[in-house]
Amino acid sequence: MKLTDTIAAIATPAGRGGLGIVRISGASARAVAESVLRFRRAPEWRPWTVALAELADVDGAAVDRVVVTFFEAPRSYTAEDVVEIACHGSPVVLRFCLERACAAGARLAEPGEFTLRAYLNGRIDLPRAEAVRDLIDATTLYQARIASQQVDGAVSRRLRPVKDQLLELIALLEAGIDFADNDVDVAPVDEILRRISDVAAGVECLAASFAFGKLVHSGFSLAIVGRPNVGKSSLFNRLLEQDRAIVTDIPGTTRDLVSEAAAIDGIPIRFIDTAGIREGQDRVEALGIERSYQAIADADLTLAVVDLAEAFNDDDRAIIERARSRGRCLVVGNKADLTPAGAPDVDVRVSAVTGNGLAELRRRIIGEVAPEGIPQEAGFITSLRHAQLLGECLEALQHAQGAAGAGIPHEMLLLDLYAALAPLDAITGATTADDILNRIFSTFCIGK
Amino acid sequence: MVTMNLDLIAQMSCNPAIGGIAKGHLVREIDALGGIMGELTDQVGIQFRLLNTSRGPAVWSPRAQCDKRRYRVRMREILEQERNLRILQAEVARLNVSGERRRVTGVTLRDGRVVEAGAVVITTGTFLNGLAHVGEQTYSCGRNGEAPSNLLGDQLRFLDLAWTRLKTGTPPRLDGRTIDWSRFERQEGDRTPTPFSFLTARIDRPQIACHIAYTTEETHRLLRDSIARSPLYSGQIEGIGPRYCPSIEDKVVKFPDKVRHQIFLEPEGLDTYEVYVNGMSTSMPIDVQEAMVASVPGLESAEMMRPGYAIEYDAVDPRELTHSLEVKSIGGLFLAGQINGTSGYEEAGCQGLIAGLNAAAKLGGNDPVVVGRTEGYTGILIDDLVSKGADEPYRMFTSRAEFRLHLRIDNADERLTPLGRRAGLVSDERWAAFERKRAEKGMVRSLLSANRIGQEGVPAVGCEGEDRPALAVWLRRPEASIDVLSSWISERVGSAVGPGVLTTVETEFKYAGYIAQQERQIGRLRDAEGRRIPAELSYSAIPGLSTEIRQKLERVRPETLGQAGRIPGVTPAAIAVLDVYLSVVR
Repeated sequence: MKLTDTIAAIATPAGRGGLGIVRISGASARAVAESVLRFRRAPEWRPWTVALAELADVDGAAVDRVVVTFFEAPRSYTAEDVVEIACHGSPVVLRFCLERACAAGARLAEPGEFTLRAYLNGRIDLPRAEAVRDLIDATTLYQARIASQQVDGAVSRRLRPVKDQLLELIALLEAGIDFADNDVDVAPVDEILRRISDVAAGVECLAASFAFGKLVHSGFSLAIVGRPNVGKSSLFNRLLEQDRAIVTDIPGTTRDLVSEAAAIDGIPIRFIDTAGIREGQDRVEALGIERSYQAIADADLTLAVVDLAEAFNDDDRAIIERARSRGRCLVVGNKADLTPAGAPDVDVRVSAVTGNGLAELRRRIIGEVAPEGIPQEAGFITSLRHAQLLGECLEALQHAQGAAGAGIPHEMLLLDLYAALAPLDAITGATTADDILNRIFSTFCIGK
Repeated sequence: MVTMNLDLIAQMSCNPAIGGIAKGHLVREIDALGGIMGELTDQVGIQFRLLNTSRGPAVWSPRAQCDKRRYRVRMREILEQERNLRILQAEVARLNVSGERRRVTGVTLRDGRVVEAGAVVITTGTFLNGLAHVGEQTYSCGRNGEAPSNLLGDQLRFLDLAWTRLKTGTPPRLDGRTIDWSRFERQEGDRTPTPFSFLTARIDRPQIACHIAYTTEETHRLLRDSIARSPLYSGQIEGIGPRYCPSIEDKVVKFPDKVRHQIFLEPEGLDTYEVYVNGMSTSMPIDVQEAMVASVPGLESAEMMRPGYAIEYDAVDPRELTHSLEVKSIGGLFLAGQINGTSGYEEAGCQGLIAGLNAAAKLGGNDPVVVGRTEGYTGILIDDLVSKGADEPYRMFTSRAEFRLHLRIDNADERLTPLGRRAGLVSDERWAAFERKRAEKGMVRSLLSANRIGQEGVPAVGCEGEDRPALAVWLRRPEASIDVLSSWISERVGSAVGPGVLTTVETEFKYAGYIAQQERQIGRLRDAEGRRIPAELSYSAIPGLSTEIRQKLERVRPETLGQAGRIPGVTPAAIAVLDVYLSVVR
């Protein structure tokens, strides 16, 4: 891979869409575009303006009318000259445009090479690079908004006060070592311990947000289980009918369970359905329960569906008990339209036929998914890498707590604290020895 | 050796104290390499203290108050005994450089004589265009009234090297007979002095006491009232001073909430009454200095023998240097000490040693002698200088060392004596002592690993009814100390084992986990240091480096990828680009 090449790729997702973009980045981006396109007037290439042009085939016949945008280095996505050609979204046209660009001297970009260049050129930091990837992968609007806030460094911003606390503690201990013959008080153990737990609390809080962030990032799985004929299929279809437009198909799992993705309040949810399974003539009951158990094991939340028109039987009770013992579970009484209110003990009453109670069920599902409500501010962790880094930080802080409590000398305790700092540095940027000294000099009156 | 005054070789310009935190480490390293500073301090010290003993052994550091006159006299004796060393009193007026690719050919003295040399080491301290400030008054001087080195200074400014102006200062000196000593807290030396040199067995000498005093609200008031007369605040001083060694007026202005500042009264020698007022460095006018001194309870009638002053001097941007302290653009020219932007005797001493070794290595056609960051504070100091430059006078701190646990005073010899031996600096006597110590250490280590508590003939040191750990394992307990084993160890080894060996072994066992953790980090750094960057690399050919970062890299021309990463402002992304470029593109 040569970083000086001009590269090109289709920048929009595969498939047919209203518009599709071919992006060209590198020193000869403009030259490539000029040989691919036919401009009405010779292009002026004024940065950040658009121009109309025609994409012509080899015989000179116009294939498409396109909009050309020029981003001048270094104020472009990759910090190189970038030309974006917006074509009509036929895959054939896009591929043709890309082929022409390559024929004109561009190289086909490696996967992720635009973002790699943006990163290598110092245009974006690592968390931002990751957030851009999330933005590209976003399947719901809420995900997109969160990802775009991450691009703006929301995680770094939330982490900064915590990191500052840690740096302050490090500076305090370093001052105690390097300026022990000065008038610097040695920090007492309980103060050190208190400061470590303050930092740990901040990191934990952010780390805990990953539980929710993960949902935003990778979604939440929900199983619909119950005896045959309680209305699982109808409920499944009812729940899926909203937001169908952005549903993606996910192939069935290895356990032959049918799953489909939809979104509730912007949170992507994968529904695992046992209803679509063709049930054999015999062993119908047993098979239904077995399938339900599998689905429960796979899910973050289970909807145990019962038929309000009938009394609970042993199978109902077994399914509910299993679901409850495995974690979060909502008991949904279906066919509310056929039965008077106040019947058996369920969490939500719905009618899959009339749609009554569906709004309440959605509200309850979101209540289970995000008990604290859906945060409107970003700055929670959505990337696994960040979660792992915070985990490393917490582990080091725990070690530091042990060391401080055991009276381990400060220069070794500091080793644990630096080990806690390194993963935070990996998210927000490096700390140097001079940064620590600057803190010491601005905090303490040092020097004889 | 050309000096402007034969009688003032090794004259201590600031307080006559050697060592201190991190500085004591440097002296141990100088000693381990075969330098003289440690031995000399052990001979002329009048108060010895081991600092930081409430912390772990990695940050213990010795400090000694010296007899200022004896330090200088004894150093002169040592130099005169050195074979092959010619000492001249003269002023070097210019450096002789010739050739298209510049090379040093020697120096011209002020009297016109030419001294030819294939390599020259310049160590000008604060003398290069030195300018002293006392209040509104300024005068040219190198140190305390001595003549400055202006001819050489002026020439160096035109050698096309980046240079800067730095500043440092000293406090007033008082007549000890006029001080009311009864008003101050005494600070005694250690009962058992810790020597600086690996060759000094022990120091039995009566020690003097220093005294601790404090400034008062009155001191601060009168300094604030006169601040307009301070050359620091009037704009008279252009040079940049060190933040870790601020003048008293600076402390009062920058930390207005602090109600008192500590000062130390330190005798300058056994046969003088002159007392150094540590902590009261100042460039205030003399009348303000007098009032300031008198405002300290106990110093009401103290007489000032010399006033404090600030001094500005020329320094070269150390990024002009390689790790062997040779100027990149002038072959054979080496610089050491304050001219490289450092402050402190110890910082200067270790540089002088490395510059001297490399000047000799160059003439002998040998490889440069370089101490790595993982091998010593000396290596950290030089790497920091040549990678980051010096925005303010550079002083060593232990927090600059990323591998602090490994860089201890007790193992400086293990780290550096073999290097000093290869370079021809370590005498047979020192080498024999080193090998003896190394063998002893090996024996003690295996003794402690092989013997379990409760075994026959092994001292009972607690742990009844437990799983009888090896002594090495038992030492990891916080309360365990090797001292209780010392006579048993000596008995088994067959000779008295020195405290240095015991400390080293105890430290290595007690903190084995942390030390192992550092060893892994050291390994990672060595990998980065192993990725060499060709000296002729054209940074402008590398895509994706911003102009700013490219300029920084071109200025330093880092020798390794590791060093590149330590240049301020060079981002991890730039290092990734460089890494990719070096490995993939080339």
